[in-house]
Amino acid sequence: MKRLELLSRILITLAIVGAVGTPLYFWSRTPLIHARIAENGGWTPDVIRANVGEPLHLKLTSDDVVHGFAVGQMDMQSVDVLPGKVTDLTLIFDKPGIYTFYCTRWCGLNHWRMRGTIEVGGSSSDTQPASAPLYVTLKINIDAPHNAPTIPVQKPSALRGQSFSTQLPITNSTNYYRANSPYQVFDELSNTSLTETERWDVAAYLWQSNTTAESLANGQRLYAQNCAACHGENGAGDGVFADDLTALGATLQRSMTGDNKMTMQTPADFTDPKRMMGASPALLQGKILRGGMGTGMPMWGSIFTEEQIWDLIAYLYSFQFEYQK
Amino acid sequence: MELTRLPILKPALKSRYPQLAVFIVMLAGYIFAILAGFIGTPVGSRNFSIVFVWIAWWAILILVAVPFFGRGWCAVCPIPLPGEWLQRGAVLNPPDKKPKWLNLRWPKFLRNIWLQNISFLLLALFSSVLLTTPNITAIILAAMLFAAIGLSMVFERRSFCRYLCPVGGFIGLYSQTAPIELRIKEKQVCVVCDGKPCYNGSQTGYGCPWDVFPGGLRKNTYCGLCMECIRTCPHDNIAINLRPFSADLAKPSARIDEAFKAFIMLASAMIYAGVLLGPWGALKDAAYNVGTSAWLIYAIIFLAIIFAVLPGFFALGILKTKSALPLKQRFASFATALIPLGLMFWVAFSLSFVLTNASYILASLSDPLGLGWNLFGTASTAWKPMLTSILAPAQTLALVGGLIWSARTAQKAANEIKSSSIPVITFCFIVTLVMLWLLL
Amino acid sequence: MHSRFFLLILIIAGLVVAFVPLSFRPIAPQERTFRIGARQFAYSPSELKVNPGDKVTIQLVSTDVVHGLYIDGYDISIEADPGQTAALNFFADKPGSFRFRCNVTCGAMHPFMIGKLTVGSNQWLYRSIGLSIIAAISLFFIRSTRPSDRQLPITIY
Repeated sequence: MKRLELLSRILITLAIVGAVGTPLYFWSRTPLIHARIAENGGWTPDVIRANVGEPLHLKLTSDDVVHGFAVGQMDMQSVDVLPGKVTDLTLIFDKPGIYTFYCTRWCGLNHWRMRGTIEVGGSSSDTQPASAPLYVTLKINIDAPHNAPTIPVQKPSALRGQSFSTQLPITNSTNYYRANSPYQVFDELSNTSLTETERWDVAAYLWQSNTTAESLANGQRLYAQNCAACHGENGAGDGVFADDLTALGATLQRSMTGDNKMTMQTPADFTDPKRMMGASPALLQGKILRGGMGTGMPMWGSIFTEEQIWDLIAYLYSFQFEYQK
Repeated sequence: MELTRLPILKPALKSRYPQLAVFIVMLAGYIFAILAGFIGTPVGSRNFSIVFVWIAWWAILILVAVPFFGRGWCAVCPIPLPGEWLQRGAVLNPPDKKPKWLNLRWPKFLRNIWLQNISFLLLALFSSVLLTTPNITAIILAAMLFAAIGLSMVFERRSFCRYLCPVGGFIGLYSQTAPIELRIKEKQVCVVCDGKPCYNGSQTGYGCPWDVFPGGLRKNTYCGLCMECIRTCPHDNIAINLRPFSADLAKPSARIDEAFKAFIMLASAMIYAGVLLGPWGALKDAAYNVGTSAWLIYAIIFLAIIFAVLPGFFALGILKTKSALPLKQRFASFATALIPLGLMFWVAFSLSFVLTNASYILASLSDPLGLGWNLFGTASTAWKPMLTSILAPAQTLALVGGLIWSARTAQKAANEIKSSSIPVITFCFIVTLVMLWLLL
Repeated sequence: MHSRFFLLILIIAGLVVAFVPLSFRPIAPQERTFRIGARQFAYSPSELKVNPGDKVTIQLVSTDVVHGLYIDGYDISIEADPGQTAALNFFADKPGSFRFRCNVTCGAMHPFMIGKLTVGSNQWLYRSIGLSIIAAISLFFIRSTRPSDRQLPITIY
């Protein structure tokens, strides 16, 4: 009996130690990057270090809802980070610098706050000096109102505008398109024999001629994933979070004194011709790059590539213009 | 039919090693579940603690163990073990003559199941959080383990199981319906038995941990099927019998604590069916957001249904029936009739919950902590409800069957106390209709 | 003999209630579109009613996190991100009442994010009520015809 008693005590101790020790051992050796909604802490850890040219292995998991992972300004497919599951991912950086990683699946009003950084160390052979974005070189004040004084009576059509495009006093170029608003085109054409409607049609044509079907499709995809939750699937500023933003804005306004213009606003309405006819692509680029500084509009500069932003902008004007298919 | 006559079963129960082997596995699993709740993923459906406690264990308990084996779960439950081993100072050795710890008798005024009623209700009020949050489940599991250890140090025998365990309370209630019982064979053998080793312990085993004298057993409620008396009985007078379902209910209970247990369980099943499985989001919000005023209202309504609405209608129904017994006793006796119905309510509720979420078990088996493991290759099993086409007929069968079963029990109880069963059957009929409406 | 005959009738009645196909006069199939909002942890509207044969479109609009919608019995589902309405098209060819539930883990109460789709009538509810009534009748019947049945003092001491 004595020996059996001892044996069973040993077995019990082993079972308990095993039940505690084994999972603890493996748990402590599995470094996970946890994703939580921004209100509960966002990414943990939110700073990751890596070296140029060396593969970076990441194990991502979500502690609450569906999230996604992507690194900004990189040509990478985003991966889903699912609740209680682990997503393995390997990244290689060929340039040093500070990269932003971010959540790619909407996870609430503060989804866009779910960002972290990857600090990639090491030296690189080619260092390109960053060029200032167009809105800076053009010295556009992106916080000032830019509404168009007049708006089209009917939706401008690129197809109709094409027929007048031969007799224009303006040179159509990418630079011209990006620096001017549709209203500026409309205004410049005021000396011509074209009617007002025809002048708007020409603007529509110019805008379409500066984009491609692929760009528009890419812009549409980016818009659906990143913008529609606030700005609405049809661009009307009535996305599912629009009401929440308004409510949040009202609370902030109450806690602030003075008439600070840059508090939470309702999301911009891209179906509003006043706003869109008065806005140049460069202005919109500035707003997307920098964000709304407290209005609830995120800063996308560290996320989108320049190409992606131009595609997105091209798509935004399609809420105003009738393009040829 | 006496199962202990079977040539394999008797030695398997008489020897303590098979049970000990199960105990060790159970205890390791229990401790692992606690640990998983703390260090594993906070996502309930991917965490061992939630999936194995609230889906796997719950399914086995309510769909198999309780209806067919009564307190069969208690026979293998790991919760009292560490406390009991410490209390005895041994795992296998015969008990000392002198108790090692305080070894107090359980206070007389608490010798009922009110504490179990309260502990169950406390968990029930927080159930939406408990069922879905791994670390809360882990805290409760750990708390039960340590409460059992603590009580073993202070009081004699398994006081936790007998008087405090929130689960043990309803297992005991529903074990009366099970077709398994532990009873003595010959009464006379016990009457003349010297020293009553089944209650007091001997060299071959410990005195009844459940503080029950097997010679006096008339119903399953307080027998934990720990099998000690089979080992200690010097006259081989203990039997495990196969018997008709709900044999214990032929003699209705007269205890008001047990009567309210029946109401608590019946009403909880109905409330859960409405809150958890119903299409009403506001109810779910109220149940989940513990501490808010909505939750407070939910809690008050919850308790009101259990303690006022259902017992109130029930009492009103039997108020005018002719009987020699006072209302309180009639109430307690007739509440016995709610036991089969309550069990079948839980079966019907659990069928829906368990069949819907059973696929989580496979995924969690391979990756119990949500660390990206794939132990058995099943980690990526997708969530998919099972057997949805037979769910509604199965629930109908359970509930209508429960109604018939309860009505028969009510008729027996009415016969026993010379009263009419019609109000009780009507009550059962109405609550069954409500439950059908909630579930289907 | 007499009582057995009645019992038989009750059993047959029970079987009929449980298994007879319920065929109502056919209602001309319609196209129906529901726009369902999904938030943690509820759908609105959460109860849908259609007729058998209807062509149903469910537009799922998530208003906080990614949600899904899975329909029991039909075994079909969709997933919607906030800002990207998803649409589910199906023929309501199976009559009865079905739960629909979120199939994308969306937080703690996710397993209980549930709605209800009723195609035609909730037939199992009516069948089960019918069965309950038959059960109640048969119990009174057994009670009145065989009163000596209830003596069961087989308690072993």
